[in-house]
Amino acid sequence: MTELNAEMKRELAAVRRRQASSVILMYGVLLSIATVLMGTFLFALMASIKKDPLEQPFQFWFEQINPVNWGTAWKLGRQGGQDAWWGGFGPGGDVTFYLSYAAPTTVELEDPQIEVPRRAPGTGMAAAVYRDFAADHLANFQVTREDGPNFEVTNELGVAEEWHQARWRVSFEHDNEGPWVERVPLYSLAPLTQVLVDSTLPPTQLERRGRVASWENITPGALGYVFNNYRRVFKESIDLNTGESLFVSWFKNSLFISFGRVALTLLLATTAGYALARLTFPGHRALFFLLLISMMIPVQVTFISNYLVIRDINLLNTPWAVIMVLVVSAQVLIMKQFFESVPREIEEAALMDGAGYFTTFYRIILPMSKPALITITIMAFQGAWNDFFWPLVLINSPTSAFALPVGLLSLRNAYGGAGDWSLILAGAFMSTVPVLILFMVFQRYIVDNPIASGSKE
Amino acid sequence: MNHKIKQQERIAGWLFVTPFCVSLFVFFVYALGRTLVYSFQSFDLFSEATWNGIANYVALLSDPLFALALRHSLAFSIVVTTLQTMLALLLALAANKKVRGQGFFRTVFYFPSILSSAAMTLIFMWLFQRRGVLNQGLGWINEHMGLLLICVVLFMAIQTVQFLMGRRRYQWVRWGDPFHFLVSLLLTAVGTLILAGYGIGVRELSEPVAITWLNTRETWGPLPRTIWAIVAMNIFTTVPTLMLLYLAGLQSIPDSLYEAAELEGASKFQQLRYITWPRLMPVSFTVVTLGIIGTLQMFDQVALLGDAAPLESKITLAYFTYHNAFPPGGTPRIGMASAAALVLAALTLVMVLIQRSVGVGEKTND
Repeated sequence: MTELNAEMKRELAAVRRRQASSVILMYGVLLSIATVLMGTFLFALMASIKKDPLEQPFQFWFEQINPVNWGTAWKLGRQGGQDAWWGGFGPGGDVTFYLSYAAPTTVELEDPQIEVPRRAPGTGMAAAVYRDFAADHLANFQVTREDGPNFEVTNELGVAEEWHQARWRVSFEHDNEGPWVERVPLYSLAPLTQVLVDSTLPPTQLERRGRVASWENITPGALGYVFNNYRRVFKESIDLNTGESLFVSWFKNSLFISFGRVALTLLLATTAGYALARLTFPGHRALFFLLLISMMIPVQVTFISNYLVIRDINLLNTPWAVIMVLVVSAQVLIMKQFFESVPREIEEAALMDGAGYFTTFYRIILPMSKPALITITIMAFQGAWNDFFWPLVLINSPTSAFALPVGLLSLRNAYGGAGDWSLILAGAFMSTVPVLILFMVFQRYIVDNPIASGSKE
Repeated sequence: MNHKIKQQERIAGWLFVTPFCVSLFVFFVYALGRTLVYSFQSFDLFSEATWNGIANYVALLSDPLFALALRHSLAFSIVVTTLQTMLALLLALAANKKVRGQGFFRTVFYFPSILSSAAMTLIFMWLFQRRGVLNQGLGWINEHMGLLLICVVLFMAIQTVQFLMGRRRYQWVRWGDPFHFLVSLLLTAVGTLILAGYGIGVRELSEPVAITWLNTRETWGPLPRTIWAIVAMNIFTTVPTLMLLYLAGLQSIPDSLYEAAELEGASKFQQLRYITWPRLMPVSFTVVTLGIIGTLQMFDQVALLGDAAPLESKITLAYFTYHNAFPPGGTPRIGMASAAALVLAALTLVMVLIQRSVGVGEKTND
């Protein structure tokens, strides 16, 4: 009897074990899918703060995500430009930077040739953007040498070698007359026999088999250090005539277009949706049929005439063109479906009381439709913000009039050829911020709403 | 009285639809008509349009670029629609699992769909660079191919041994037993790490993988490699959207059906085959329709590739239209563009009609 009981218990435990395992496996599968879907994004996000997103092999641990460097960058930023966050080099700047070289004791440690070079960083328009150079506003530039203790190194052959090292202290001040400069590059040339073993910030680049170490900016500030590529998007894509940041103009244009589209969509979709759902009028069926057809026909079929219409009313190259050109059939359909689900009695009572159709609609129906209104608002905003085709067709010049997605294309054209992907990725990520915020705030309206997502395309 | 109300309703109806009608008529009906007219004319956007009969259509037929664009569009549409429909269903099945944190997983799964095609295309272009992460990943897999194979064999072996041992004690143990699965996974992981430590199954590649994904004229099957890259981008962003449709469909299937099937002894696969799939037919219909419409007008990714890929290996019908209307540094050929646009519209309608008649019907087959 007890034996049978024990047997049953064991079997029960085995079944439980299986249930638990299957839950664990399910989570494993779900997490794997999530990793693939989010991973691509996070991967690219990581790459977007690197100096070279195409580096080979791809490093998961690099200087920009090392907190020690954040602290150093913070300190250097404060020394250079009194700005711990974004750094720079301005009046009152007093910077100290250390470099250590080491070599086997058999060779002499020579003073490296250290200087602040007069050169603009980056590619593309950078040369036209950076006109002030830290090199022109230095004062009291000093390099002093301090010899350090010897140490032992085991070389490739497994033999212990005696090495010696020395540290060079580089210090300089701002001349207090010149302008504020965004960055201070540094350059150090040493003989091949000695190796750079340490420096306040790791060098951005090592060239000529390690003879030349260069720093793009030794006073970056914490944010300036980590988000250098992001800052470059703002600084380096500027309108050369006005000096204004192109990225900022694109961002503003896209915001304007998106808000305009949302307003127009709300107006058209609610009125038409209501009429199609509730009111009988001649042409009702034909209109509905046209609406369905219009959702099927690709925009490339109608864009030529639309381009000409916009040209004829002189709205080409303005955000207004992009706002008005879209036919919001999908949103009308959603509103129609929503209004059909509202009980008729509510408005009939109002109509009986002598309220007009418009009053009923405005005072009674609309206030009840909040969920549907939010849904089409999100759809319209996201659609407008992400829209690429209409801005491409309707806004061609000047560059500062572009919408953000087209702006990204022009960034890619300017920097992709040179292989400068850091700036392109940074731009791409910044362009997604408004939609990300929208997604976070209104998540449940998006994910729980199959109608909205279904007719998005 | 009644008549008067009818009259009022009629006027109100017209007033309410007027704003939308203006937009619909100007930017759709009128535009469609004008495209039709232009397709029989010669026009360059600036000088006066002149009639030239069906010359544009004839020119289209003899234009090799058009044939290429048409082929790409069709193949792209079929490939992407098929893949994304299957993946969307699988993703929805995963997201529909009743576990804690379901909402979190749904949000994460949906995430790729919210980003703009521009941002997404740039991110993918970075992945697909010659020195990019994708090639590096492929290189890694190539290097560890031996180890991965050993890994699979090891897993199978451990799983089978456990199954045989378990079978002695409990009759109900199956080969795919979840507990055994977990144990096998763990043991395989440990075994693989040890093997990797000894460098077994790992080889050095003589040179890194450097497939040119974008700037190439090579083709794989029906599509240029460039468009295969676009296939990947496109699926990545559309699958989550379509997943939501399937999710809604799955939620509308009553649990009692599955419970009954369970009692009858139907396996999970049978449940999927005989309950879930037929019940989801109407959703599949919508998903496929949306897929066809969406894929045939795929444009953004091609345009964003810009000079990173040759025209011949990225062109689609939608892009062909744009390219003829606004050729870089050339005279607009509006006639050709319009004719191609109408072909695109007709193609969309025809494909949707074919899909309607070929099985993926609107009705559930209960």
